[in-house]
Amino acid sequence: MSTEDPKARWQETTSTLGERSAYKKVWDRQSQDAEVAVLAVAGHTDEATLDVTAASFIETLEQTVGLDPNDVILEIGCGVARVGKPLSRRCLHWFGADISSGMLGHAARRLSDRPNTTLVELATVGLQEFPRDAFDLVYCTIVFMHLFEWDRYRYVEEAFRVLRPGGRLYVDNFPLDSAHGWNVFTEGTRYPLDRRPAHISMASTREELGIYLRKAGFTDVRVHDLPNELIAATGRKPE
Amino acid sequence: MNPSEPTVPKTLAELQAELDAVKRREAEFRVHMVQEFLDRGERNTYLHTLHEERAALIKRDQAASADIEALTRKLEVEEARTASLAAELRALRASLSWRLTAPLRALAGAPAAPAPGPDTGVPGGVFTYYLHTSPFRVYREASFTLRGWAWPQDGRAVTGIRASVGGKVFTGRIGLEEPEVIARYGAQPSNPKPGFEVTFDTPPGRHLLSLEAQIEGSEWRWIVRATIWSEAAPA
Repeated sequence: MSTEDPKARWQETTSTLGERSAYKKVWDRQSQDAEVAVLAVAGHTDEATLDVTAASFIETLEQTVGLDPNDVILEIGCGVARVGKPLSRRCLHWFGADISSGMLGHAARRLSDRPNTTLVELATVGLQEFPRDAFDLVYCTIVFMHLFEWDRYRYVEEAFRVLRPGGRLYVDNFPLDSAHGWNVFTEGTRYPLDRRPAHISMASTREELGIYLRKAGFTDVRVHDLPNELIAATGRKPE
Repeated sequence: MNPSEPTVPKTLAELQAELDAVKRREAEFRVHMVQEFLDRGERNTYLHTLHEERAALIKRDQAASADIEALTRKLEVEEARTASLAAELRALRASLSWRLTAPLRALAGAPAAPAPGPDTGVPGGVFTYYLHTSPFRVYREASFTLRGWAWPQDGRAVTGIRASVGGKVFTGRIGLEEPEVIARYGAQPSNPKPGFEVTFDTPPGRHLLSLEAQIEGSEWRWIVRATIWSEAAPA
């Protein structure tokens, strides 16, 4: 890396859009430098801001799917464990899964004082590393925008498999019909065709998220408009 | 429960506490189930990735050390050849024909100085050994600690270890445990703890390093010898 500015260093690590499906490669490249890794998954490098956004997300979980001290929780795409670090204090055990071993390396350092956490590297898209009927809650936040639609659905299907009967799912993304969503979209239009990065954020619609959950078998499916201009879909695996 | 004992109705709070305890045990069971599932599929876990990376790094380190050793040996051969050629040149210069043709070589330079030969009279031994810290390197610090394990192939006991650097002797310590080595090679009755370490000074310049073991409290035998180069700052 050649510069002090983490944003400039981040640009040096990005892959092109044609490689978007090569998630392991794309995200391992962006995780070689701890500061860049945090920037890539959170949009900033400040630890205090990480804590604030994580606390805000935990509040969202409480309000949408609820939290219980006996919950066994799985996060899909946990990155540097921004959420897992504080959430692990609120549950029985927190499992963090990510396709990037580099991201998990940073997460492991951040979780060194949290014994009720386990990190798992995913071999590919899916949750094949985990058994069925295991978790009370599966969530996936600030990840769907970096995935193709087929892969978003794949994770919803897999979440259904690994949740215990009665278990809850939460997934989110940004919609186009919000100021923030439109801003992200128009920023994307500024890239030259051949320079669009692989991790470029792509929106979801409320219908899309709802359909994923219903097709996968979830009941009590709800789509929420969150205060931070994200949309979230929640559902429950039938008993 | 004894059927003759009267049944005491439980309060709602007691029932709730029992229910919570059951829920917790069930959740703990699921945590163990996931962890056992992950252990079985360790190939895909992060821990496995770290193990793989560590093994690859150790392999690369060993390959690099082997390369440096091979290059060191080649250099030693070339130095011996240079010394031989220098001796031949000295003999040539002493000849009558050389002196007669001196005016024609007015611009010729002097040959390099010959390399120093081995500086101890210790004979070599046949050892099974491994050096954890390879001596084949460019030395940049004022001292270096050589760690490894060794035993003579004739089964006798190693009773001392030392390193000779340019004729100066440094005594090390033996008897360090090497459980992985014993597990791999089997028990070594005369050398149950075959590990050793010896720290020696590495003053700037080129030296002959001789790692030597004392056998059965009497004679010394060298285990490995090599020319070393130190770029350490002068003391």
